[in-house]
Amino acid sequence: MTRGVMLMSGGIDSPVAIHLMLRQGYEMVAVHMDNRPFTDDSPLEKVVDHLGLLRARYGQPIPLYVVPHGSTQTTLMRTTDRHVGCVLCRRFMWRSAERIAEREGASFLVTGEALGQVASQTLSNMHSATASVRLPIVRPLIGFDKQEIEAVAKELGTYGISTRPGVCCQAVPDKPATRSNLVQILREEELLDVDQIIDDCVRKSVIL
Amino acid sequence: MYRRLRLCSNNGGYEAIPDPPLRLDLRVARSVLEREGIAVVDARVMLIAATDPEVTISQSGRLLFKTRDPAAAERAFGQLQRWLDLPGREPDERIPRRGGIA
Repeated sequence: MTRGVMLMSGGIDSPVAIHLMLRQGYEMVAVHMDNRPFTDDSPLEKVVDHLGLLRARYGQPIPLYVVPHGSTQTTLMRTTDRHVGCVLCRRFMWRSAERIAEREGASFLVTGEALGQVASQTLSNMHSATASVRLPIVRPLIGFDKQEIEAVAKELGTYGISTRPGVCCQAVPDKPATRSNLVQILREEELLDVDQIIDDCVRKSVIL
Repeated sequence: MYRRLRLCSNNGGYEAIPDPPLRLDLRVARSVLEREGIAVVDARVMLIAATDPEVTISQSGRLLFKTRDPAAAERAFGQLQRWLDLPGREPDERIPRRGGIA
């Protein structure tokens, strides 16, 4: 069976995206980038509850890798241009997911991104973020509007979990870049030891 | 002066916002907190202090307490106010003064 790795945030979209993949018969592995202390415990709790529902529905184990991402976030904030922080953050998430895909024998990555829902989800930002990985990326929700995604989430039972109270990511800059430039992104990353950061995060990840 | 504490946009914590914004020296704030034995994550434009409850301190003076318990947020606010010499908070009209009319 073909395996994929799904990035799960605890929000409304990612459980719908993984549901669509599971429904097609794909075997999925979940990855949650644990952004504490820039968030609270709620995103991880939501992902655990989302997967509880989906495991029961599809009879799949869906292993969950929890990857510590807070220290990466701190490094990014201390070292790089805040304006492009969301794109840099996404690039580290993708790299971690790809590393876990290699470990799990997965051949593609999946995300719940839909175009234009938040400032950072623009075509140029998606391009800049995903240029960091080689595996193909599947976006089952790319053409969905918010109402369609919410309707599926309510039917699945994940909507109520996603909308529980929680602290938003505190690392999001006041004015995130909406048109990122890959040359600038790469220049920012030259300030960092990217491989070392990814090695550390993936090594410290735990499987739930 | 700080506005009244209020739930943040996603209802996950209480925030205190100064009006007008402050210009906190986060290096000084960090050293004060660490002298008090509080662990601090220094993200350059903000600090995250392991008070109870945990708090994010922005350069503008915005404080975000990671709790849904307003009393815990009030307690932590008072503690930070003393440690960091922050301005006072506008009075909460919902709390009657002693001997006053509720």
